[in-house]
Amino acid sequence: NGAVFSKVRGSQSGHDSTRWHVVRKFLGLIASHNIPVYLIDPLILGLVDKDIEQIRSSPDGPSPECKYFCAPRDFTTFALLDKTWKHEVGLFRTAEKMGFQWLKIINKDPRLDGMDDLSGIEIPLHYIFKLASHAIHLVVFYERSGNYLWHGPLRLKQHADRKFVPFRKLHFGRYPGAYEKPELLLVSIDDLKVQIPKNPSSFLEEMSHSRFLECRYREARAFFQLYPDDASLDAVEFRKKAKSLLHLAALTLNNLGVKFWLSSGTCLGWYRQCNVIPHSKDVDLGVFIRDYKTDIIPAFQKAGLPLKHKFGKIEDSLELSFQGEGDVKLDIFFFYEEDDHIWNGGTQAKSGKKFKYLFPKFTLCWTEFVELKVHVPCETLQYVEANYGPDWKVPVKMWDWKSSPSNVQYNGVWPVDEWDDVIQIY
Amino acid sequence: MDEWKPNPAIKPHKKRSWYLAWKYKLMNQRTLRKLCQTGAVLFLLVTVIVNIKLILDTRRAAYEEEEESAQDYDDELLNVEVPRHPVSNKKVLDVEVYSSRSKVYVAVDGTTVLEDEAREQGRGIHVIVLNQATGHVMAKRVFDTYSPHEDEAMVLFLNMVARGRILIFTIKDEGSFHLKDTAKNVLKSLGSQVAPFLSWRDMWTFVGKKGGELYGEKHAKSPALSTWGDPVLLKTEVHLTSVEDAECRWPDTELNRRRKRFCSKVEGYGSVCSCKDPTPIEFNPDPLKDNKVFDVPVAVIAGNRPNYLYRMLRSLLSAQGVNPQMITVFIDGYYEEPMDVVELFGLSGIQHTPISIKNARVSQHYKASLTATFNLFPDAKFAVVLEEDLDISVDFFSFLSQSIHLLEEDESLYCISAWNDQGYEHTAEDPSLLYRVETMPGLGWVLRKSLYKDELEPKWPTPEKLWDWDMWMRMPEQRKGRECIIPDISRSYHFGIVGLNMNGYFHEAYFKKHKFNTVPNVQLKNVESLRKDAYETEIHRLLGEAEVLDHSKNPCEDSFVPDTEGRVYVMFIRMEQEADFTTWTQLAKCLHIWDLDVRGNHKGLWRLFRKKNHFLVVGVPASPYSSKKPSSVTPIYMEPPAKEEGAVAVPAVAAAEQT
Repeated sequence: NGAVFSKVRGSQSGHDSTRWHVVRKFLGLIASHNIPVYLIDPLILGLVDKDIEQIRSSPDGPSPECKYFCAPRDFTTFALLDKTWKHEVGLFRTAEKMGFQWLKIINKDPRLDGMDDLSGIEIPLHYIFKLASHAIHLVVFYERSGNYLWHGPLRLKQHADRKFVPFRKLHFGRYPGAYEKPELLLVSIDDLKVQIPKNPSSFLEEMSHSRFLECRYREARAFFQLYPDDASLDAVEFRKKAKSLLHLAALTLNNLGVKFWLSSGTCLGWYRQCNVIPHSKDVDLGVFIRDYKTDIIPAFQKAGLPLKHKFGKIEDSLELSFQGEGDVKLDIFFFYEEDDHIWNGGTQAKSGKKFKYLFPKFTLCWTEFVELKVHVPCETLQYVEANYGPDWKVPVKMWDWKSSPSNVQYNGVWPVDEWDDVIQIY
Repeated sequence: MDEWKPNPAIKPHKKRSWYLAWKYKLMNQRTLRKLCQTGAVLFLLVTVIVNIKLILDTRRAAYEEEEESAQDYDDELLNVEVPRHPVSNKKVLDVEVYSSRSKVYVAVDGTTVLEDEAREQGRGIHVIVLNQATGHVMAKRVFDTYSPHEDEAMVLFLNMVARGRILIFTIKDEGSFHLKDTAKNVLKSLGSQVAPFLSWRDMWTFVGKKGGELYGEKHAKSPALSTWGDPVLLKTEVHLTSVEDAECRWPDTELNRRRKRFCSKVEGYGSVCSCKDPTPIEFNPDPLKDNKVFDVPVAVIAGNRPNYLYRMLRSLLSAQGVNPQMITVFIDGYYEEPMDVVELFGLSGIQHTPISIKNARVSQHYKASLTATFNLFPDAKFAVVLEEDLDISVDFFSFLSQSIHLLEEDESLYCISAWNDQGYEHTAEDPSLLYRVETMPGLGWVLRKSLYKDELEPKWPTPEKLWDWDMWMRMPEQRKGRECIIPDISRSYHFGIVGLNMNGYFHEAYFKKHKFNTVPNVQLKNVESLRKDAYETEIHRLLGEAEVLDHSKNPCEDSFVPDTEGRVYVMFIRMEQEADFTTWTQLAKCLHIWDLDVRGNHKGLWRLFRKKNHFLVVGVPASPYSSKKPSSVTPIYMEPPAKEEGAVAVPAVAAAEQT
C-alpha cells in the first residue's frame, strides 16, 4: 500500500516521499538476499524512542501518517552484522538493477592489525546505496575479541568520488566505534517492517560515547624491536595473572555500573606496547570520584579479591587496593575533576604524607586490551606524558610512585587523628 | 641412445658421478660379479644407501629450487604487471628463449619471465605456459628429466594444459637422460620436430601452441659425450588470439565467473578448466544433524604448493557438515597461485610475510595463523587446524562433532586429532573406535582456545629458535601430561611428498599405507569412555578380557597372532622405565609402523590391530597395567641392531618430522 501511503504523505508539507520510497526499496533489496540489517539512524531512533511503548504494543498496526521516514534527510543509517552475511556480488547486481548506485568503503581488518605481517585482508566497513536524492548508509559491525561489536572509520581512498554523498553529514564513520551486541526488536513503523535496537535510548546513549581507539600496533612493534619482549616464564605468568585480574575487575565494575579506565602503568603498557608490562607487578584502574559506590569494596571481596588497603576518603585522595591471585595487586585510583585539570591522590602509609598527581582534562574512549573492551583516556599521549614525562617510551624498571612521576606534587600530611580512617591496611 | 657408452670418465654431475660409475661398472662386468658375489652384495647395499641419500638430496634440492623459482615468479609478476595492458592490446608477442648448460631464460615482449643461472639447480626441461590471449604466464615448471620419472610428471602436466595455450620449452644442462619415448611422443604431438631425437646434453628450445602451430624450435647437438651442445637462442613471434577464443563458454553464473578468473590465470589443474565438462567447484555435501562444530573456525595452513592446496580444499569442502564461511587459508608468503586456488573456491585467504627460515618459518606461520583465527572468530572456543597436504575424510566433521564436548569438559585432554600415527592398512580396523594417547599427532586436529591463549601463545618459540612447532608442542613443558583423542582409523590422509621434512622415500615408507576412513556418518563407539577415569576402567576391562599370546614365539612373525578375527590379544614387552622404548621401537620396526619416535602410547600401553584382532602391547614393568601380566609370562625383549646396521636401517631422515 506504499502508493496509497505516498499520496497521503504527498499532501503533507515538509515530508519527503522520496526517502520513504528509497528506504522501502532498500529493505526489499536486503530482504531478497536474506541480509539482516537493523536501523541505527540516530534521528529516527530518537523519534521512535518517544513512541516506543506504542510501537512495541502494536507491531503490525498501520500508520495513519508518515512520522519517521519522511523527514527530509540526506541519509538513513542501518547496521549490518558481518558474520550474518556472506559478501556476495549478487547483492550489488540486484541493487544496480533496482536503480541504486553504490559505494563500498574498505580498509584493513583491525583484528589482524595487531599481528606481524599479515596481509591480503581488507574488509568492507561501510556501504552507501544511493537512489535519487536519498542515500542509505550501511555500517558494517564486526565482532571482536572482548565480546563487543566494532565499526570502522569512513576514510575515502585517493580516487574515491568525494561528492558521491555529503560524507561529512554522516552520523557514523568519523571515528571507529565500539558497541555492546544489541538486542533487536522487529517493529512496523510508517508501514515498514524494520529491526531496531530493543532499547533505542540506551543505544543512543551508547552511541554518544562510542569512540574507539585502536592500539598503536605499529609503534608497539617498533618498541619491541628496540626493547625485546621479556619472554621469561615469570613474565608469561605475570601477564596471565594480570590479564585474568583485569577481566575479573572489569566484570565486577561493569556489574556495578562503575565506569573505569586503564591508568598508570597499565595504560602505559597498552599505549606503548599493546600488552601488560611484565615488570609492572600490578594493575591500575582509574574511576571518577562521582562514580564511586559504596558497593565497590564488598563486590570485589565477593569476587575473591580482598581489600588490601584503603587510603584517603571520598572527599579527598581516595585509593583502593585489592589483593589479586599470586601477588598481583589491583589499584583503583579515584580522580577528582577541577576546572582546568583532573587529579588523583596518593598516601604514604608510614608518614601520612599526601601526594597529588595532576592530569590535563580528558575524555574516555573505548579500546581493546587483552581481549577486553575497556576505556582509556582518548587523549592518551597527554595522559601518559603527564604521568611518565617525555621519556615514557624508555622502559624503567625502578619506579618510585612518590618521586618518579613527572606530575607528582607534595600535598601535605593527613592530620594524625584522621589516620585510622584514611590509612587502612589489611 | 646407441651412441651412449657408459664411461666413468664423464661426469654429468660431480656429486653423482662416482655412484653412477659404480652402478654401470656393476652392470657391465657380469662375469666378474659371479666371482665376487659377496662383493656384489656389499655393492648393492652401498648402492641402496647411496640411492636413498641421492633421492633425499634430489628431493631436497628440488624443493629448495621450487621455492627459489617461486620467489622469482613473484618478482617477475610484478614486472609483468607493467606491460600488461600493452600486451593485451597487441596482437603479436615477441618471445625469446635461451637454452644452455648453465643458464636458461625466457623473455616475453622484453620482460624476463624465467631466468635461471643458479649452479647445480634447475637441471632439465623448463616449461612455461602462456595465455594465448593475454600473454600472461599461467604456469612455470621444471622437470628434471635427467632423473627417472620426471618425464612422467611432465606428460601429466602437459596433458592437463588446455588446448590453445602457448607452451615454451627450454633445456638447462641435461634433459634427455630419462626422457622416455612416451614423453618424446607427447612433445612431438605438440609440434616439436626435434624432440624424438633429443639426446645427451643437447640444447633445445621450442615454442608452440597446444594442439596447433609451431612458432619456433632450435636445437644444438652435443658434439661429444663430455661436452654440451652450443647455447641456442630462439627468437620468435606468437600471434595472440582474442580473449573470447581463449575462454570457455560456460554459463554466466557466480561460480563460473570464479572459474573463469582462475582458468585464465593458471594452468595445470585439469578438468576444473575443461570447457566441455568442468568439474564442480561447489560441493554441497549433506549437512550434519546436530553439528557441534559448525561454528568452529577452520585454519588451513598453506605454503606454496597450490596443487596440493587445490586437492586439499576439494576434499575439505566435500566433507559432510563443512561450513565454508568458517574456513580461512593462511598462506606463508606472497604467492599468487595459492591465493588463486583459495578464490576459486570462494574462500578467504590471508598472506603472511615469511619470518625466519625453515622450521622456524613454519612455526611462526603457525603462530600467526592461530592468533589470526581466534581474532577473526572471537566467539570460538576451538579451532580446527589443517595443512595443505591432507585429504580430509568425508566424516571428519562428524567425528569431531561427536567428540568435541570431551575437549571442552575433560581438562586432561590436550587435543583431538584426526590422525593415528600407528593406523596403517594392516594395523587399523575399527572406524568407530577412539583412543587416548600421550603424543600429539597433528595432521588435522582441534585446538582449544584457552590452551592457545593462556599457555601456548605467550611462550611460543621466537623466530630465532629454529624449532618445529609440533615438536615444541609435544615437549613435556607444554603438554603437561595431557593426552589427545585419536581415531583408530585416521580421518585425514597425508599425501604431500614435497615438503620441508618430506620426500618420496620417506612418504612411501611411513605415510603411503596409512589407513583413511571413507565411510560416511560413522557412529563413534563409547565416546564417554574416553574421559580420563572412564578410560582406565575401559582399559582394565579390555586387559581382563584379552588373551595372552604365546610369548615364546617371535612377535614379528605373522603366526604370533592366531588366525582369528575380532578377538583381543595382549603381549608384554620389556620396558624398564617410562622412557625405555628399546623393545617397542624394534617391535614397531618389524610391524612396519611408525618407529622414528614413540607415538600412540598411553601409560606404557599401545593399541592396534593385527589380522583384524585388537592387539595390546604392555610395557613391563613401567606400565601400571603390568599387574595384568601372568607371572608365568616373561616380557619379550628385542635387542636394537648393532650400531652400523642401525645406520643403514634408519636413514638420514630419522630426525625428520611429519609436518
